[in-house]
Amino acid sequence: MQFINDFLSGQWNWIVGMLPEAAKPYAMPGLVIFIVLNVTLGACSYLILLERKLSAWMQDRLGPNRVGPMGLLQPVADMLKLLLKEDVIPGHVNKFLFVLAPGISVFTTFLAFAVVPFGPVPKGLTAGDGQFPFIIAPGIDLGVVFIFAIGSLAVYGIILGGWASNNKYSALGCLRASAQVVSYEIPLGMSVVGLALLCGTMSIEKILLFQAERGIYGWNIWYQPLACVIFFIAAMAEAQRLPFDLAECEQELIGGWHTEYSAMKWGLFFLAEYTHVITISFLTSILFFGGWHLPFIAETTSNYSGVWMVKVGVLLAKVSVFIVVIQMLRWTIPRFRFDQLMSLAWLCLIPLAMVNIVMVMVVKQFELNEWWLLPGSAAIFLAAGLMGTQSTKPFARRVAAPIETPGHGGHGHAHAH
Amino acid sequence: MAINAKDVEWVEETPMNFWEATYLPAVFDGLLTTGAHVANNRTVTEQYPEQQPKLPTHYRGVHRLNRDDKGRVKCVACMMCATACPAHCIEIVAQDAPKDDPHWADRDKFPKSFVIDELKCIYCGMCEEACPVDSIELTHIYDLVGLTRQEMMFDKEKLLSVFDQTKDSGIDPIRTHKGKLGHASDFTDLHTLGPATTVRADDRSAKAVSSGVISN
Amino acid sequence: MATVLVNDKSVEIGPSEKLNCIQAAQRAGVEIPSYCWHPEMSVVASCRMCLVEVGDKKPDGTIAMQPKLFPGCQTPVKDGTVIVSNSEKVKAAQKATLEYLLLNHPLDCPVCDQAGECGLQDYSYEFGRGYSRLQEPKNIKPDKDYIGDQITLFTDRCIMCTRCVRFTREISGTAELQVISRGTHEEIDIFPGDPCNNKLAGNVVDLCPVGALCSKDFLYEQRVWWLKTKNSVCPGCSTGCSITVDQNEDVLYRLKPRVNEQAQGHFMCDEGRFGWKYVQSEKRLKRPEQRANGQVVSRDWETIFPAIRNAIRDSLIRSPNKFAAVISPWATVEEAYLLATYAKKLSPHAKLAIGPVRVVGEDDLYPKDVHGKPEPKTKFTIRAEKCPNRRGVEAVMQQMQGSVIEFSSILEGVSRGEIEALYILGGDPEGWISDSDATKLDKLKLLVVQDLLESAASRKAHFVLPGAAWAEKDGTFVNHNGLAQAIHRGVRGPEEARPDGRILMELAEKKGMFHAPTLRKEIAGVVPALAALSVGELGELGVKLEQAAAVEKPQLQTV
Ligand code: SF4
Ligand code: SF4
Ligand code: SF4
Ligand code: SF4
Ligand code: FES
Repeated sequence: MQFINDFLSGQWNWIVGMLPEAAKPYAMPGLVIFIVLNVTLGACSYLILLERKLSAWMQDRLGPNRVGPMGLLQPVADMLKLLLKEDVIPGHVNKFLFVLAPGISVFTTFLAFAVVPFGPVPKGLTAGDGQFPFIIAPGIDLGVVFIFAIGSLAVYGIILGGWASNNKYSALGCLRASAQVVSYEIPLGMSVVGLALLCGTMSIEKILLFQAERGIYGWNIWYQPLACVIFFIAAMAEAQRLPFDLAECEQELIGGWHTEYSAMKWGLFFLAEYTHVITISFLTSILFFGGWHLPFIAETTSNYSGVWMVKVGVLLAKVSVFIVVIQMLRWTIPRFRFDQLMSLAWLCLIPLAMVNIVMVMVVKQFELNEWWLLPGSAAIFLAAGLMGTQSTKPFARRVAAPIETPGHGGHGHAHAH
Repeated sequence: MAINAKDVEWVEETPMNFWEATYLPAVFDGLLTTGAHVANNRTVTEQYPEQQPKLPTHYRGVHRLNRDDKGRVKCVACMMCATACPAHCIEIVAQDAPKDDPHWADRDKFPKSFVIDELKCIYCGMCEEACPVDSIELTHIYDLVGLTRQEMMFDKEKLLSVFDQTKDSGIDPIRTHKGKLGHASDFTDLHTLGPATTVRADDRSAKAVSSGVISN
Repeated sequence: MATVLVNDKSVEIGPSEKLNCIQAAQRAGVEIPSYCWHPEMSVVASCRMCLVEVGDKKPDGTIAMQPKLFPGCQTPVKDGTVIVSNSEKVKAAQKATLEYLLLNHPLDCPVCDQAGECGLQDYSYEFGRGYSRLQEPKNIKPDKDYIGDQITLFTDRCIMCTRCVRFTREISGTAELQVISRGTHEEIDIFPGDPCNNKLAGNVVDLCPVGALCSKDFLYEQRVWWLKTKNSVCPGCSTGCSITVDQNEDVLYRLKPRVNEQAQGHFMCDEGRFGWKYVQSEKRLKRPEQRANGQVVSRDWETIFPAIRNAIRDSLIRSPNKFAAVISPWATVEEAYLLATYAKKLSPHAKLAIGPVRVVGEDDLYPKDVHGKPEPKTKFTIRAEKCPNRRGVEAVMQQMQGSVIEFSSILEGVSRGEIEALYILGGDPEGWISDSDATKLDKLKLLVVQDLLESAASRKAHFVLPGAAWAEKDGTFVNHNGLAQAIHRGVRGPEEARPDGRILMELAEKKGMFHAPTLRKEIAGVVPALAALSVGELGELGVKLEQAAAVEKPQLQTV
C-alpha cells in the first residue's frame, strides 16, 4: 500500500516537475478531470452492459454473450457501432440546435459531477499542495445548489433536441420532459433543505465529513429517511429513468425527443442519462449514507497507509449498490401515466418534503434530540399512507363516472369530483 | 370518432389498503420478484445456431405446394388461399388443364403461376386452412434468408421443390390418403359432418342411419 | 285490386298484372327459390325448387289450402290467393329438391367458375340440407368443350333447368341447344355441326344458374368475389343495353347485362359482351403529345393545355371563322356540352359537327324463325347504328348552333380551305377515318385530336390527347329511344390517359372538378331537350327524355 502510494506520488512529482511554472496550478485539476472523464465514460458503457445483463437475468435470459467472454466486449462493439453508423440529420430539422442538443445534455451532466467528491477529500485543500483532491472543484460551498442548478440545465438538451427535431412525437416528448423536470425540481431541492439545516452547510464535502465524524449513527439516513426516499425518487425523475421516462416512452411517442436522433448523437443522450445515474448514486450515498465512511474500516481517524484506496472503494461500493437498485427498479416498475407522474410530485412528494422541513426546523429551534427525526419521519410517511386510503374528496385519485342527468340521456359530461 | 357516452363502462378504482397506499411495500415486493429471478440462475434462452430449436408439430414455417400421386401440382388454382390470406401475398394465375393430355385427364384447372411473397407473409396458416385439396402447407422450415426481395418471391417450382425437400424429413409428412403418413385430408376416414342446417326431428334425414352421419 | 297473402303478409296486385307466386312473393319481400323459371321465357316447372303451399281465402274469411305443394312459377295468383313458403312442409320439399339436384353434381366448386354467384351454392346454403346421403358413385358425364366459340359446357354440373335450351328456342330463335337422352342420362348438347354461335349466345352463360355453361373468354380469369362491379351502358350500338362492368385491380374482365325493361330487357348481344377488348388495346393513346414539324415537343399535360389554348387563339386571330369542333357520337352528353360551349365561347362562328355515325347493315331483330327471318314479335334488337350517343350529342349541338353539321362537310370544308383549325373529340374504337379522308386533314393549320386509339388522324395531329374509354369515365348516353342512362368509371385508363370530361374542363379552364351529376344539372338548364337530366343522378335505370322535347331528326346542313 505504502509502496503504491509512494510510487504514484513520485511519478506525479516527476511529471509536474517537467511542466512550465505557469501550468503547474492546472496540473492537478487536469489530472482529476482526466481521470473522472475516462472512468465515467468507461463506467457508462459497462453500466449499459450491466443493465442488459441484469434485465436478462431478471427475465431468465442470458443477455449479450457473443462479443468477448460472457459478452464483456459488448460495450466496445456498441460504441463502435454508434460511432460508425450513418449519422442522419433529417432535412426538416433545425440543424444548429439539433446538433447542439446532445452536446448540452452530456456537458451539463458532466459539469454536475464537478462538485461530487469521489473519495476522501483532504481538509483545507489548496491547489498545488500535491495532494490528490478527489473532487474536480474543491471547496464549493453551494455544492448541492450547484448540482441542482446544473441538473435542471440538462433538460435543455432534451427540450432543444425535441423541438429542433420538428417532429410531433419529439415535441410531445420534450413538453413532457419540461413539465416533469419543473415539477420534480421542487421536491428534489426541498428534500435536501432538511440536510442543510441539520449539517449547517450546503457543501457536499462538508456534509460528508459531518457524517463521517459522527460515525455510523451520524449518517443522515437515520435523521432524514423520508428526505432520502423523496430525494431518490425525484432524482430518478430528473434523470428521466424508467419508471419516469415519459419523455421517450416508446409505446406512445416512438422515442419521444430522440425519435429523430441516430448514431453517436443518440449515443450522447444515453451517455448523459447514465452519467446522471452515476451522479445520483454518488449523491445519495454521500448525502445520506456517509459517503466513504464505514465503521471500523474507513473512519475519519483511520490512518493506515493506503486508506484513501479503501475509502474510494467503500464509496464506490455504496454507489454501485444504488446504481444496481436504480437499474432493477427500471425493470421492475412499469412506467407512470402522465397524470400519475404529476400528482406524485405535486400531491405527494412536495407536501411530504415540506412537512419534513418543518419537522427539522422544529427540532432545531427547540433543540430537541435529533433522534426524534427518525420516528417523526416514519410518522409522516405512515400518515401520508393513511390519507391515501381515503379515496374520497380531496384525495380522489381519478375522474368519476358522469352522473346521468335526466333529459340528457347518456350524454352527461365527465366531471371531476 | 368520438366514443359514445353510453358505450363507456365506468369502473371504480378499488380503494387501496394502508400498505398499498404507501407504495413502498409494493416496490420492494417487485424488487424481490425481479431479484429472485436474478438469483435463481435459470435461463430459457436457446443458444440458437449451436442449439437447434425443437419445434412443435403445428409450427408454421415456409410454405410448400404438395404434389399428387402423379407428381402434378395438387393445387387446383381455386384461389381460396389467396382469398383467405390476410396479407394478400399470394398471386395465382389459373389455366385450364390441357384437354388432350391424358396426364391431366382428371383435372380441369391448375395454376399457371403461383407466387407467394414470403416477405409479406405473416405465417398465419390461413392458406393452409382454406385449401380444399390440402395442396398448400406450412412446413417447419424457419431459417429463411434471401439477399434480394425477388429471391423471397417463391414461385410454383420453388414451392414444389420445398415439398420434395421436406416430404421425407419426418416432421412434415405427406398428410393425404395418397401418401403413407397421416390422414389429415383423408375424408373417408373422418366422420361425415353432422347436419349443418337444422332438420326437423321427424325428417327422414334426421333419422337416417347411413354410416358416417351423426344423428342428433 | 287483388290481394294476395304471402306468409301472412298481404300484397296488392294491380288489376291488369299477371303474376305467378314467385313474383307475388317478391313484392312481399319473400324469396321463393327457383331455377328453371325466367320472367322472359316460357314456364316449364321442371326443377321443383319453387314448391310452395297454395290456398284460397274465401270471401267469408276461411282459408282452404291445397293438399299438395305447387310449383310457384307455374301458379298464377288471383285475389285471395294464399302462399306459404316457410312451412315445415315447404322446407322439407326444398331440402329434398336440393339433395336431389346435388345427387350427381360434382361439387367441384373450387375449380368451378360459377362459385360465388352460383344458384346451387346460395340455395344449398339457405334452403339445403347440408349433407348428402348418396352412397353410390356419382354419375359423371364428360365435359363438352365446344358448345360454341365462346361457350363451354361442364356437363356434370348441369341441373337440367333447360333455361339455355328455351333461350335459344324462344329469344334467339336459333334453337341450337337441346336435351339429349332421358332420365339420369339427360345432357345438354348441340346438334352435330351446329354450334351455338348466334349473336345472343353469350346470354346462356348468364342464364345458367350453375357453372355448367361457362364463357371461354372469362374462364378461370378471376374468382367472381374479387370483381368489383359498376353499372354502365354498353356502347356497342344505339340500343344502349344496361350492363355491369366487372373489374379487379383496374383490369376489366367481363360485362354482364342488367335488367332494364326501358332499354333492352334482360339480355345483351355478344358483340357488346365480348367486343370491349379495345379498352385494353396496345394501340390506346397513352400519353399526351404536342408535335411540331412531326417532332414530339412535349408530353406533359401541364404544358400542353396552355399550348392548345394559345394555338387555338392564334388561329382564331388569324381567321375567326375557320375553327370547327367535331364531336363523335361516342362522346357523352357532358363531353359534348363541354366542348360545344368551349368552342362557342372562343368564337361564336365556330362550327360544331358530329363525328362519323357508323351504321353497319340493318337492325338485327330476334327471335328468328327457322329461315333466319325475324319473327313478328321482337324480343331483342341489335341496332345498325353502332354508336351509343348520337341523340345526346345532336341534342347539344342543336341547342348550341341550331343545326347539326355532318363530319363529311367538315372534311370538304377543310379541303376547300374554309376550316383551318379543327378539334376532334373521338372515341369510336373502329377506324372512324379512312386514310384518304385523313390526307385531307393535311391542309389544317391546327389539328387537335382527343381520342381513344391511334388513328390516321391522331398521327397527323399537332396535339394528341389520350381520352378514356367508356368504362373509364362518368357520363350520360342517350340511346335510340331517348333513354338517358349513366355510365360510371369502373377502371382507370392506361398510363396518362384521362377521362375526356376532365380534359375538356381543364382545357376550358372551367372551375371545379368534373362531376357528372352536377354537370347534368347545368346541361338540363341550358339544353331544354335534355331537361330530364336535371335530376342529376340518373339511377340504375336512367330517365326518359320528355317526348315533347325529343329532338327532331335534324336538318342536315352543309358548310
Ligand atoms: S400463412 Fe397467412 S399470410 Fe402467409 S400466405 Fe398463408 S394465409 Fe397468407
Ligand atoms: S393452394 Fe389450395 S387453396 Fe390455394 S389455389 Fe391451390 S388448391 Fe386453392
Ligand atoms: S355449379 Fe355451383 S355448386 Fe356446382 S360446382 Fe359450380 S359453384 Fe359449385
Ligand atoms: S346448362 Fe345450365 S342453363 Fe342449361 S340446363 Fe343445364 S343448368 Fe340449366
Ligand atoms: S322454378 Fe318453378 S319449377 Fe323450376
